[in-house]
Amino acid sequence: MASTSTPKPDEKSSTPADSKPEQSQNNKTAGALEEDDEFEDFPVEDWPAEETEAANQQGNNTSGGTAADHLWEESWDDDDTSDDFSAQLREELKKVDAAKRR
Amino acid sequence: MDSLIKEFKTAYADQLGNDLAKTLTPDVPNNAAQLLSVWESGNSQSIKDDLKFLFVRDKSARLNMSSDEAVGWQEIYYSYWKALGEILAAEGLRKSRVKTSWTSVYEAWKELTSQIIRGYTNHEFENWTIPCLYIAGKYMRLYAMRADAERGNNGDDMVTNFQDDFDPETEKHKSLEDCARQLNRIFNLCLSDRAPLAESRKWGIYYAINLLFKTYFKLNSAALSKNVLRVLSAGRGDMPDFESFPKSQQVTFKYYEGVLAFLEENYEEAEKHLTLAWLLCHKGATRNMELILTYLIPCHLLTTHTLPSEKLLAPFPRLQALFLKLATAIKKGDLRGFHQALQEGEEEFVKRRIYLTLERGRDIALRNLLRKVFIAGGFLEGAGGEAQVRRTRIPVSEFAAAIRMSGGQDIDTDEVECLLANMIYKNLMKGYIAHERGFVVLSKNGAFPGTGV
Repeated sequence: MASTSTPKPDEKSSTPADSKPEQSQNNKTAGALEEDDEFEDFPVEDWPAEETEAANQQGNNTSGGTAADHLWEESWDDDDTSDDFSAQLREELKKVDAAKRR
Repeated sequence: MDSLIKEFKTAYADQLGNDLAKTLTPDVPNNAAQLLSVWESGNSQSIKDDLKFLFVRDKSARLNMSSDEAVGWQEIYYSYWKALGEILAAEGLRKSRVKTSWTSVYEAWKELTSQIIRGYTNHEFENWTIPCLYIAGKYMRLYAMRADAERGNNGDDMVTNFQDDFDPETEKHKSLEDCARQLNRIFNLCLSDRAPLAESRKWGIYYAINLLFKTYFKLNSAALSKNVLRVLSAGRGDMPDFESFPKSQQVTFKYYEGVLAFLEENYEEAEKHLTLAWLLCHKGATRNMELILTYLIPCHLLTTHTLPSEKLLAPFPRLQALFLKLATAIKKGDLRGFHQALQEGEEEFVKRRIYLTLERGRDIALRNLLRKVFIAGGFLEGAGGEAQVRRTRIPVSEFAAAIRMSGGQDIDTDEVECLLANMIYKNLMKGYIAHERGFVVLSKNGAFPGTGV
Protein backbone atom coordinates (compact mmCIF):
# COMPACT_ATOMS: atom_id res chain seq x y z
CA MET A 1 0.00 0.00 0.00
CA ALA A 2 1.27 3.46 -0.87
CA SER A 3 2.07 5.47 2.18
CA THR A 4 0.49 8.90 2.27
CA SER A 5 3.62 10.73 3.40
CA THR A 6 5.65 9.93 0.29
CA PRO A 7 3.57 10.65 -2.77
CA LYS A 8 4.71 8.77 -5.83
CA PRO A 9 4.84 10.63 -9.11
CA ASP A 10 2.13 8.52 -10.72
CA GLU A 11 -0.24 8.72 -7.82
CA LYS A 12 -1.55 12.12 -8.61
CA SER A 13 -2.28 11.64 -12.25
CA SER A 14 -4.13 8.40 -11.66
CA THR A 15 -6.67 10.02 -9.39
CA PRO A 16 -9.72 10.27 -11.57
CA ALA A 17 -10.78 13.65 -10.19
CA ASP A 18 -7.97 15.73 -11.64
CA SER A 19 -7.04 13.79 -14.71
CA LYS A 20 -7.12 15.90 -17.84
CA PRO A 21 -6.08 14.78 -21.28
CA GLU A 22 -2.56 16.10 -20.89
CA GLN A 23 -2.20 14.35 -17.61
CA SER A 24 -3.21 11.03 -19.03
CA GLN A 25 -0.48 11.70 -21.52
CA ASN A 26 1.96 12.02 -18.62
CA ASN A 27 0.54 8.88 -17.24
CA LYS A 28 1.34 7.15 -20.45
CA THR A 29 4.99 8.15 -20.48
CA ALA A 30 5.35 7.17 -16.86
CA GLY A 31 3.99 3.77 -17.83
CA ALA A 32 6.50 3.47 -20.64
CA LEU A 33 9.41 4.26 -18.38
CA GLU A 34 8.30 1.70 -15.90
CA GLU A 35 10.56 -1.30 -16.16
CA ASP A 36 8.44 -3.87 -17.81
CA ASP A 37 9.17 -6.41 -20.47
CA GLU A 38 5.78 -6.25 -22.04
CA PHE A 39 6.01 -6.00 -25.78
CA GLU A 40 4.62 -2.70 -26.98
CA ASP A 41 1.87 -2.29 -29.52
CA PHE A 42 3.24 -1.14 -32.84
CA PRO A 43 1.82 2.17 -34.09
CA VAL A 44 1.01 0.52 -37.41
CA GLU A 45 -0.34 -2.92 -38.10
CA ASP A 46 1.86 -3.87 -41.01
CA TRP A 47 4.86 -2.52 -42.87
CA PRO A 48 6.71 -3.28 -46.09
CA ALA A 49 9.92 -5.30 -46.14
CA GLU A 50 11.95 -2.11 -46.64
CA GLU A 51 11.01 -0.91 -43.19
CA THR A 52 12.09 -4.01 -41.33
CA GLU A 53 15.24 -4.26 -39.27
CA ALA A 54 16.57 -6.79 -41.79
CA ALA A 55 16.41 -4.20 -44.57
CA ASN A 56 17.91 -1.64 -42.23
CA GLN A 57 20.90 -3.89 -41.61
CA GLN A 58 21.36 -4.55 -45.32
CA GLY A 59 21.25 -0.83 -46.01
CA ASN A 60 23.92 0.02 -43.47
CA ASN A 61 26.15 -2.72 -44.62
CA THR A 62 28.35 -1.41 -47.38
CA SER A 63 31.31 -3.73 -47.20
CA GLY A 64 29.62 -6.87 -48.47
CA GLY A 65 29.12 -10.08 -46.56
CA THR A 66 26.03 -10.77 -44.54
CA ALA A 67 24.72 -8.08 -42.28
CA ALA A 68 24.88 -10.25 -39.20
CA ASP A 69 28.67 -10.45 -39.51
CA HIS A 70 29.04 -6.94 -38.24
CA LEU A 71 26.61 -7.20 -35.43
CA TRP A 72 27.87 -10.30 -33.64
CA GLU A 73 31.49 -10.88 -32.94
CA GLU A 74 33.55 -13.71 -31.62
CA SER A 75 33.69 -13.99 -27.87
CA TRP A 76 37.46 -14.04 -27.58
CA ASP A 77 39.97 -11.36 -28.15
CA ASP A 78 43.18 -12.08 -29.99
CA ASP A 79 44.57 -8.69 -30.67
CA ASP A 80 44.69 -7.48 -27.11
CA THR A 81 48.24 -7.58 -25.83
CA SER A 82 48.80 -11.29 -25.70
CA ASP A 83 52.41 -10.49 -24.90
CA ASP A 84 51.47 -8.56 -21.80
CA PHE A 85 49.45 -11.49 -20.70
CA SER A 86 52.26 -13.98 -21.21
CA ALA A 87 54.70 -11.71 -19.42
CA GLN A 88 52.27 -11.39 -16.54
CA LEU A 89 51.70 -15.13 -16.56
CA ARG A 90 55.45 -15.79 -16.40
CA GLU A 91 55.73 -13.42 -13.46
CA GLU A 92 52.95 -15.26 -11.74
CA LEU A 93 54.58 -18.63 -12.38
CA LYS A 94 57.89 -17.39 -11.01
CA LYS A 95 56.13 -16.35 -7.85
CA VAL A 96 54.58 -19.80 -7.57
CA ASP A 97 57.98 -21.42 -8.07
CA ALA A 98 59.62 -19.15 -5.55
CA ALA A 99 56.96 -19.95 -3.01
CA LYS A 100 57.52 -23.66 -3.56
CA ARG A 101 61.28 -23.43 -3.09
CA ARG A 102 61.01 -21.61 0.16
CA MET B 1 -24.77 8.71 -31.19
CA ASP B 2 -26.16 9.47 -34.64
CA SER B 3 -22.78 10.50 -35.98
CA LEU B 4 -21.16 7.41 -34.55
CA ILE B 5 -23.66 5.16 -36.28
CA LYS B 6 -23.15 7.12 -39.47
CA GLU B 7 -19.44 6.27 -39.28
CA PHE B 8 -20.38 2.69 -38.59
CA LYS B 9 -22.56 2.57 -41.67
CA THR B 10 -19.89 4.02 -43.95
CA ALA B 11 -17.32 1.52 -42.67
CA TYR B 12 -19.81 -1.29 -42.94
CA ALA B 13 -20.81 -0.44 -46.50
CA ASP B 14 -17.18 -0.61 -47.62
CA GLN B 15 -16.36 -3.57 -45.37
CA LEU B 16 -13.51 -1.75 -43.68
CA GLY B 17 -12.88 -3.66 -40.48
CA ASN B 18 -10.41 -1.21 -38.96
CA ASP B 19 -12.69 1.77 -39.56
CA LEU B 20 -15.50 -0.19 -38.02
CA ALA B 21 -13.43 -0.96 -34.96
CA LYS B 22 -12.56 2.71 -34.65
CA THR B 23 -16.19 3.49 -33.86
CA LEU B 24 -15.82 1.27 -30.79
CA THR B 25 -12.48 2.68 -29.63
CA PRO B 26 -12.52 4.61 -26.34
CA ASP B 27 -9.30 6.49 -27.04
CA VAL B 28 -9.78 9.06 -24.28
CA PRO B 29 -6.41 10.89 -24.52
CA ASN B 30 -6.94 11.72 -28.19
CA ASN B 31 -10.67 11.82 -28.48
CA ALA B 32 -12.18 12.98 -25.21
CA ALA B 33 -14.54 15.60 -26.59
CA GLN B 34 -16.08 13.34 -29.18
CA LEU B 35 -16.52 10.47 -26.76
CA LEU B 36 -18.15 12.81 -24.30
CA SER B 37 -20.62 14.03 -26.89
CA VAL B 38 -21.55 10.44 -27.72
CA TRP B 39 -22.17 9.77 -24.06
CA GLU B 40 -24.19 12.95 -23.61
CA SER B 41 -26.36 12.33 -26.63
CA GLY B 42 -29.07 10.71 -24.55
CA ASN B 43 -30.10 8.75 -21.52
CA SER B 44 -30.36 5.03 -21.22
CA GLN B 45 -33.90 4.80 -22.60
CA SER B 46 -33.50 7.29 -25.42
CA ILE B 47 -30.25 5.69 -26.56
CA LYS B 48 -31.95 2.34 -26.65
CA ASP B 49 -34.75 3.76 -28.78
CA ASP B 50 -32.34 5.64 -31.03
CA LEU B 51 -30.31 2.54 -31.69
CA LYS B 52 -33.38 0.51 -32.42
CA PHE B 53 -34.49 3.11 -34.90
CA LEU B 54 -31.07 3.44 -36.52
CA PHE B 55 -30.44 -0.25 -36.89
CA VAL B 56 -33.85 -1.82 -37.33
CA ARG B 57 -36.59 0.63 -38.27
CA ASP B 58 -34.78 3.14 -40.45
CA LYS B 59 -35.55 1.65 -43.83
CA SER B 60 -34.02 4.56 -45.75
CA ALA B 61 -30.49 3.70 -44.58
CA ARG B 62 -30.87 -0.03 -44.80
CA LEU B 63 -27.54 -1.74 -45.00
CA ASN B 64 -27.01 -5.01 -46.66
CA MET B 65 -27.43 -6.91 -43.42
CA SER B 66 -29.97 -9.31 -42.02
CA SER B 67 -32.28 -8.04 -39.32
CA ASP B 68 -30.70 -10.62 -37.05
CA GLU B 69 -27.27 -9.10 -37.56
CA ALA B 70 -28.69 -5.59 -37.11
CA VAL B 71 -29.98 -6.59 -33.68
CA GLY B 72 -26.51 -7.80 -32.79
CA TRP B 73 -24.93 -4.44 -33.66
CA GLN B 74 -27.68 -2.56 -31.91
CA GLU B 75 -26.88 -4.39 -28.69
CA ILE B 76 -23.17 -3.81 -29.11
CA TYR B 77 -23.56 -0.06 -29.42
CA TYR B 78 -25.83 0.02 -26.42
CA SER B 79 -23.21 -1.80 -24.34
CA TYR B 80 -20.56 0.48 -25.75
CA TRP B 81 -22.52 3.55 -24.72
CA LYS B 82 -22.90 2.21 -21.19
CA ALA B 83 -19.21 1.35 -20.96
CA LEU B 84 -18.36 4.80 -22.23
CA GLY B 85 -20.26 6.30 -19.32
CA GLU B 86 -18.15 4.35 -16.85
CA ILE B 87 -14.91 5.15 -18.65
CA LEU B 88 -15.60 8.88 -18.77
CA ALA B 89 -16.61 8.85 -15.12
CA ALA B 90 -13.47 6.98 -14.11
CA GLU B 91 -11.38 9.48 -16.04
CA GLY B 92 -13.20 12.29 -14.24
CA LEU B 93 -14.50 13.77 -17.48
CA ARG B 94 -18.22 13.62 -16.86
CA LYS B 95 -19.86 16.88 -15.89
CA SER B 96 -21.74 15.45 -12.98
CA ARG B 97 -19.01 14.00 -10.83
CA VAL B 98 -20.21 10.46 -10.68
CA LYS B 99 -18.17 8.10 -8.56
CA THR B 100 -17.10 4.90 -10.18
CA SER B 101 -14.16 2.54 -10.20
CA TRP B 102 -12.03 0.89 -12.83
CA THR B 103 -13.53 -2.36 -11.68
CA SER B 104 -16.93 -1.11 -12.90
CA VAL B 105 -15.31 0.03 -16.12
CA TYR B 106 -13.86 -3.42 -16.55
CA GLU B 107 -17.20 -5.08 -15.92
CA ALA B 108 -18.98 -2.80 -18.39
CA TRP B 109 -16.34 -3.41 -21.02
CA LYS B 110 -16.48 -7.13 -20.42
CA GLU B 111 -20.19 -6.97 -21.10
CA LEU B 112 -19.46 -5.24 -24.40
CA THR B 113 -16.91 -7.92 -25.24
CA SER B 114 -19.46 -10.62 -24.58
CA GLN B 115 -21.90 -8.86 -26.88
CA ILE B 116 -19.31 -8.76 -29.62
CA ILE B 117 -18.51 -12.44 -29.17
CA ARG B 118 -22.23 -13.14 -29.33
CA GLY B 119 -22.29 -11.26 -32.63
CA TYR B 120 -20.21 -14.03 -34.14
CA THR B 121 -21.89 -16.95 -32.45
CA ASN B 122 -25.53 -15.75 -32.76
CA HIS B 123 -25.77 -12.87 -35.18
CA GLU B 124 -23.89 -13.96 -38.30
CA PHE B 125 -21.10 -11.37 -38.10
CA GLU B 126 -18.63 -11.79 -40.95
CA ASN B 127 -14.90 -12.24 -40.52
CA TRP B 128 -13.88 -8.85 -41.92
CA THR B 129 -15.32 -7.30 -38.76
CA ILE B 130 -12.82 -9.02 -36.44
CA PRO B 131 -10.89 -5.82 -35.67
CA CYS B 132 -13.87 -5.18 -33.35
CA LEU B 133 -12.78 -8.23 -31.38
CA TYR B 134 -9.24 -6.88 -31.26
CA ILE B 135 -10.37 -3.57 -29.81
CA ALA B 136 -12.58 -5.35 -27.31
CA GLY B 137 -9.74 -7.57 -26.13
CA LYS B 138 -7.13 -4.84 -26.13
CA TYR B 139 -9.08 -2.45 -23.94
CA MET B 140 -10.47 -5.19 -21.73
CA ARG B 141 -6.92 -6.08 -20.71
CA LEU B 142 -5.99 -2.47 -20.06
CA TYR B 143 -9.06 -1.90 -17.90
CA ALA B 144 -8.48 -5.14 -16.00
CA MET B 145 -4.97 -4.00 -15.11
CA ARG B 146 -6.18 -0.59 -14.02
CA ALA B 147 -8.90 -2.20 -11.94
CA ASP B 148 -6.39 -4.45 -10.19
CA ALA B 149 -4.01 -1.56 -9.59
CA GLU B 150 -6.76 0.64 -8.22
CA ARG B 151 -8.03 -1.97 -5.80
CA GLY B 152 -4.46 -2.61 -4.74
CA ASN B 153 -3.93 1.07 -3.98
CA ASN B 154 -7.17 1.44 -2.08
CA GLY B 155 -6.65 -1.74 -0.13
CA ASP B 156 -10.29 -2.63 -0.84
CA ASP B 157 -9.70 -6.33 -0.93
CA MET B 158 -8.08 -6.39 2.46
CA VAL B 159 -11.25 -5.19 4.12
CA THR B 160 -13.89 -7.05 2.24
CA ASN B 161 -12.37 -10.41 1.54
CA PHE B 162 -11.20 -11.93 4.77
CA GLN B 163 -12.40 -15.41 4.10
CA ASP B 164 -10.71 -18.68 4.86
CA ASP B 165 -9.58 -19.27 1.32
CA PHE B 166 -8.31 -15.72 0.90
CA ASP B 167 -5.28 -15.72 -1.34
CA PRO B 168 -3.67 -12.27 -1.68
CA GLU B 169 -1.87 -13.21 -4.89
CA THR B 170 -5.04 -14.17 -6.72
CA GLU B 171 -6.88 -11.20 -5.28
CA LYS B 172 -4.22 -8.90 -6.60
CA HIS B 173 -4.93 -9.97 -10.15
CA LYS B 174 -8.60 -10.76 -9.85
CA SER B 175 -9.71 -8.73 -12.85
CA LEU B 176 -6.79 -9.78 -15.00
CA GLU B 177 -7.38 -13.44 -14.24
CA ASP B 178 -10.97 -12.99 -15.28
CA CYS B 179 -9.81 -11.10 -18.35
CA ALA B 180 -7.61 -14.07 -19.31
CA ARG B 181 -10.71 -16.26 -19.35
CA GLN B 182 -12.53 -13.78 -21.59
CA LEU B 183 -9.55 -13.56 -23.94
CA ASN B 184 -9.55 -17.32 -24.09
CA ARG B 185 -13.13 -17.16 -25.33
CA ILE B 186 -11.96 -14.87 -28.14
CA PHE B 187 -9.10 -17.24 -28.90
CA ASN B 188 -11.47 -20.18 -29.14
CA LEU B 189 -13.95 -18.19 -31.17
CA CYS B 190 -11.24 -17.65 -33.77
CA LEU B 191 -9.74 -21.10 -33.54
CA SER B 192 -12.95 -23.07 -33.87
CA ASP B 193 -14.27 -21.34 -36.98
CA ARG B 194 -14.85 -23.95 -39.65
CA ALA B 195 -15.61 -21.54 -42.49
CA PRO B 196 -13.31 -21.56 -45.56
CA LEU B 197 -10.12 -19.60 -44.91
CA ALA B 198 -11.14 -16.54 -46.89
CA GLU B 199 -14.11 -16.03 -44.62
CA SER B 200 -12.62 -17.48 -41.48
CA ARG B 201 -12.14 -15.89 -38.09
CA LYS B 202 -8.86 -17.81 -37.97
CA TRP B 203 -7.33 -14.58 -39.22
CA GLY B 204 -7.86 -13.25 -35.74
CA ILE B 205 -5.93 -16.01 -34.06
CA TYR B 206 -2.54 -14.35 -33.65
CA TYR B 207 -3.97 -11.12 -32.36
CA ALA B 208 -5.89 -13.09 -29.76
CA ILE B 209 -2.86 -15.20 -28.85
CA ASN B 210 -0.66 -12.15 -28.44
CA LEU B 211 -3.15 -10.63 -26.02
CA LEU B 212 -3.22 -13.90 -24.11
CA PHE B 213 0.59 -14.04 -23.97
CA LYS B 214 0.79 -10.52 -22.58
CA THR B 215 -1.83 -11.37 -20.01
CA TYR B 216 -0.28 -14.67 -18.95
CA PHE B 217 3.14 -13.07 -18.64
CA LYS B 218 1.68 -10.43 -16.34
CA LEU B 219 0.11 -13.21 -14.34
CA ASN B 220 3.45 -14.99 -14.26
CA SER B 221 2.02 -18.05 -15.87
CA ALA B 222 4.27 -19.15 -18.68
CA ALA B 223 2.75 -22.63 -18.45
CA LEU B 224 -0.60 -21.36 -19.68
CA SER B 225 1.15 -19.73 -22.63
CA LYS B 226 2.66 -23.09 -23.49
CA ASN B 227 -0.85 -24.50 -23.52
CA VAL B 228 -1.88 -21.97 -26.11
CA LEU B 229 1.09 -22.96 -28.26
CA ARG B 230 0.14 -26.61 -27.97
CA VAL B 231 -3.44 -25.94 -29.04
CA LEU B 232 -2.15 -23.83 -31.90
CA SER B 233 0.28 -26.41 -33.22
CA ALA B 234 -2.43 -29.06 -33.06
CA GLY B 235 -4.59 -26.94 -35.35
CA ARG B 236 -1.84 -25.52 -37.50
CA GLY B 237 -2.72 -27.68 -40.50
CA ASP B 238 -5.77 -25.67 -41.45
CA MET B 239 -4.47 -22.26 -40.44
CA PRO B 240 -3.53 -19.48 -42.88
CA ASP B 241 0.23 -19.18 -43.50
CA PHE B 242 2.00 -17.39 -40.70
CA GLU B 243 3.72 -15.09 -43.21
CA SER B 244 0.39 -13.76 -44.44
CA PHE B 245 -0.45 -12.15 -41.08
CA PRO B 246 0.44 -8.49 -40.46
CA LYS B 247 4.03 -8.06 -39.34
CA SER B 248 3.03 -6.48 -36.04
CA GLN B 249 1.32 -9.75 -35.14
CA GLN B 250 4.14 -11.91 -36.46
CA VAL B 251 6.82 -10.04 -34.52
CA THR B 252 4.87 -9.99 -31.26
CA PHE B 253 4.09 -13.68 -31.54
CA LYS B 254 7.68 -14.62 -32.34
CA TYR B 255 8.95 -12.54 -29.42
CA TYR B 256 6.76 -14.37 -26.93
CA GLU B 257 7.36 -17.76 -28.53
CA GLY B 258 11.09 -17.06 -28.29
CA VAL B 259 10.96 -15.93 -24.67
CA LEU B 260 8.95 -19.03 -23.75
CA ALA B 261 11.56 -21.30 -25.33
CA PHE B 262 14.22 -19.24 -23.56
CA LEU B 263 12.59 -19.76 -20.17
CA GLU B 264 12.61 -23.49 -20.84
CA GLU B 265 16.32 -23.23 -21.60
CA ASN B 266 15.69 -24.33 -25.14
CA TYR B 267 18.14 -21.79 -26.46
CA GLU B 268 18.43 -22.91 -30.04
CA GLU B 269 14.70 -22.78 -30.51
CA ALA B 270 14.59 -19.43 -28.72
CA GLU B 271 17.30 -18.03 -30.95
CA LYS B 272 15.38 -19.05 -34.06
CA HIS B 273 12.18 -17.29 -32.99
CA LEU B 274 13.87 -14.21 -31.59
CA THR B 275 16.03 -13.76 -34.66
CA LEU B 276 12.95 -13.80 -36.84
CA ALA B 277 11.22 -11.30 -34.57
CA TRP B 278 14.28 -9.09 -34.69
CA LEU B 279 14.62 -9.13 -38.47
CA LEU B 280 10.92 -8.50 -39.10
CA CYS B 281 10.60 -5.82 -36.44
CA HIS B 282 9.94 -2.30 -37.60
CA LYS B 283 13.29 -0.53 -37.64
CA GLY B 284 11.90 2.40 -35.65
CA ALA B 285 10.46 0.32 -32.81
CA THR B 286 13.40 0.83 -30.48
CA ARG B 287 11.84 -0.42 -27.27
CA ASN B 288 10.59 -3.64 -28.86
CA MET B 289 13.94 -4.19 -30.51
CA GLU B 290 15.55 -3.72 -27.12
CA LEU B 291 13.27 -6.34 -25.61
CA ILE B 292 14.00 -8.84 -28.37
CA LEU B 293 17.74 -8.34 -27.99
CA THR B 294 17.57 -8.66 -24.21
CA TYR B 295 16.88 -12.33 -24.78
CA LEU B 296 18.62 -12.81 -28.10
CA ILE B 297 22.00 -11.70 -26.74
CA PRO B 298 22.15 -14.37 -23.98
CA CYS B 299 20.98 -16.92 -26.57
CA HIS B 300 23.84 -16.07 -28.87
CA LEU B 301 26.28 -16.30 -26.01
CA LEU B 302 25.25 -19.87 -25.30
CA THR B 303 24.53 -21.24 -28.77
CA THR B 304 27.23 -19.74 -30.96
CA HIS B 305 29.42 -18.16 -28.27
CA THR B 306 29.18 -14.79 -29.96
CA LEU B 307 28.80 -11.38 -28.39
CA PRO B 308 27.01 -8.25 -29.58
CA SER B 309 29.29 -5.81 -31.37
CA GLU B 310 29.51 -2.15 -30.47
CA LYS B 311 27.63 -1.39 -33.64
CA LEU B 312 24.75 -3.59 -32.60
CA LEU B 313 24.48 -2.00 -29.18
CA ALA B 314 25.06 1.56 -30.35
CA PRO B 315 21.37 2.55 -30.64
CA PHE B 316 20.47 0.97 -27.30
CA PRO B 317 22.01 2.66 -24.25
CA ARG B 318 19.97 0.44 -21.97
CA LEU B 319 21.39 -2.70 -23.51
CA GLN B 320 24.88 -1.25 -23.27
CA ALA B 321 24.40 -0.75 -19.57
CA LEU B 322 23.05 -4.26 -19.30
CA PHE B 323 25.62 -6.22 -21.29
CA LEU B 324 28.73 -4.24 -22.14
CA LYS B 325 30.71 -4.90 -18.97
CA LEU B 326 29.88 -8.56 -19.04
CA ALA B 327 30.84 -8.88 -22.69
CA THR B 328 34.17 -7.14 -22.15
CA ALA B 329 35.00 -9.43 -19.23
CA ILE B 330 34.13 -12.53 -21.24
CA LYS B 331 36.29 -11.39 -24.12
CA LYS B 332 39.27 -10.69 -21.94
CA GLY B 333 38.89 -13.89 -20.00
CA ASP B 334 38.63 -11.70 -16.94
CA LEU B 335 37.04 -13.87 -14.28
CA ARG B 336 36.94 -11.23 -11.59
CA GLY B 337 35.49 -8.69 -14.00
CA PHE B 338 32.87 -11.20 -15.02
CA HIS B 339 31.93 -11.85 -11.43
CA GLN B 340 31.68 -8.14 -10.72
CA ALA B 341 29.58 -7.41 -13.79
CA LEU B 342 27.23 -10.25 -12.92
CA GLN B 343 26.87 -8.99 -9.37
CA GLU B 344 26.33 -5.40 -10.37
CA GLY B 345 23.63 -6.35 -12.81
CA GLU B 346 22.12 -9.06 -10.66
CA GLU B 347 18.87 -7.32 -9.77
CA GLU B 348 18.17 -6.36 -13.35
CA PHE B 349 19.24 -9.74 -14.73
CA VAL B 350 17.01 -11.59 -12.31
CA LYS B 351 14.08 -9.35 -13.17
CA ARG B 352 14.59 -10.04 -16.84
CA ARG B 353 14.99 -13.75 -16.11
CA ILE B 354 18.36 -13.87 -17.84
CA TYR B 355 20.60 -14.23 -14.80
CA LEU B 356 21.02 -18.00 -14.91
CA THR B 357 21.68 -17.92 -18.63
CA LEU B 358 24.27 -15.20 -18.36
CA GLU B 359 25.92 -16.99 -15.47
CA ARG B 360 26.76 -19.74 -17.90
CA GLY B 361 28.86 -17.18 -19.76
CA ARG B 362 31.50 -17.77 -17.10
CA ASP B 363 32.47 -20.92 -18.99
CA ILE B 364 33.17 -18.82 -22.05
CA ALA B 365 35.23 -16.37 -20.04
CA LEU B 366 37.22 -19.26 -18.58
CA ARG B 367 37.64 -20.83 -22.00
CA ASN B 368 39.07 -17.57 -23.30
CA LEU B 369 41.47 -17.37 -20.39
CA LEU B 370 42.71 -20.94 -20.88
CA ARG B 371 43.04 -20.26 -24.56
CA LYS B 372 45.32 -17.36 -23.75
CA VAL B 373 47.51 -19.64 -21.67
CA PHE B 374 47.71 -21.99 -24.61
CA ILE B 375 48.67 -19.19 -26.99
CA ALA B 376 51.18 -17.74 -24.54
CA GLY B 377 52.82 -21.16 -24.48
CA GLY B 378 54.05 -20.45 -28.00
CA PHE B 379 55.42 -22.94 -30.48
CA LEU B 380 57.63 -25.97 -30.20
CA GLU B 381 61.23 -25.43 -31.28
CA GLY B 382 63.09 -27.38 -33.87
CA ALA B 383 60.32 -27.98 -36.34
CA GLY B 384 62.02 -25.76 -38.91
CA GLY B 385 60.61 -25.61 -42.39
CA GLU B 386 57.34 -27.28 -41.56
CA ALA B 387 54.29 -25.57 -40.22
CA GLN B 388 54.83 -24.49 -36.67
CA VAL B 389 53.36 -26.65 -33.96
CA ARG B 390 52.05 -25.20 -30.77
CA ARG B 391 53.12 -26.55 -27.42
CA THR B 392 50.29 -28.84 -26.43
CA ARG B 393 51.56 -30.12 -23.08
CA ILE B 394 50.69 -27.46 -20.60
CA PRO B 395 51.46 -27.77 -16.89
CA VAL B 396 48.37 -27.50 -14.73
CA SER B 397 50.29 -24.97 -12.68
CA GLU B 398 50.21 -22.55 -15.62
CA PHE B 399 46.46 -22.77 -15.86
CA ALA B 400 46.25 -22.44 -12.10
CA ALA B 401 48.38 -19.32 -12.15
CA ALA B 402 46.24 -17.79 -14.85
CA ILE B 403 43.02 -18.54 -13.01
CA ARG B 404 44.48 -17.14 -9.82
CA MET B 405 45.59 -14.01 -11.64
CA SER B 406 42.31 -13.46 -13.41
CA GLY B 407 40.05 -14.42 -10.55
CA GLY B 408 41.99 -12.49 -7.96
CA GLN B 409 41.83 -15.24 -5.39
CA ASP B 410 43.68 -18.37 -4.48
CA ILE B 411 42.58 -21.71 -5.83
CA ASP B 412 44.06 -25.14 -5.20
CA THR B 413 45.21 -27.54 -7.89
CA ASP B 414 42.38 -30.00 -7.42
CA GLU B 415 39.87 -27.28 -8.05
CA VAL B 416 41.74 -26.18 -11.14
CA GLU B 417 41.75 -29.72 -12.47
CA CYS B 418 38.06 -29.89 -11.81
CA LEU B 419 37.47 -26.72 -13.84
CA LEU B 420 39.62 -28.08 -16.65
CA ALA B 421 37.77 -31.38 -16.67
CA ASN B 422 34.56 -29.43 -16.93
CA MET B 423 35.85 -27.50 -19.91
CA ILE B 424 36.78 -30.74 -21.62
CA TYR B 425 33.43 -32.28 -20.79
CA LYS B 426 31.60 -29.30 -22.28
CA ASN B 427 33.72 -29.57 -25.40
CA LEU B 428 35.06 -26.07 -24.92
CA MET B 429 38.56 -27.52 -24.75
CA LYS B 430 39.91 -30.72 -26.31
CA GLY B 431 42.47 -32.86 -24.58
CA TYR B 432 43.04 -34.81 -21.39
CA ILE B 433 44.50 -34.26 -17.98
CA ALA B 434 47.56 -36.30 -17.05
CA HIS B 435 46.85 -36.04 -13.37
CA GLU B 436 49.88 -37.95 -12.08
CA ARG B 437 52.31 -35.87 -14.07
CA GLY B 438 50.51 -32.61 -13.49
CA PHE B 439 49.92 -31.42 -16.99
CA VAL B 440 47.25 -31.20 -19.62
CA VAL B 441 47.70 -32.63 -23.09
CA LEU B 442 45.72 -30.59 -25.56
CA SER B 443 44.60 -31.69 -28.98
CA LYS B 444 47.02 -30.76 -31.77
CA ASN B 445 44.23 -29.76 -34.08
CA GLY B 446 41.64 -27.57 -32.50
CA ALA B 447 42.47 -27.47 -28.79
CA PHE B 448 39.74 -24.87 -28.38
CA PRO B 449 37.07 -25.84 -30.90
CA GLY B 450 35.72 -23.09 -33.07
CA THR B 451 38.24 -20.49 -32.01
CA GLY B 452 40.89 -21.00 -34.65
CA VAL B 453 43.48 -22.69 -32.44
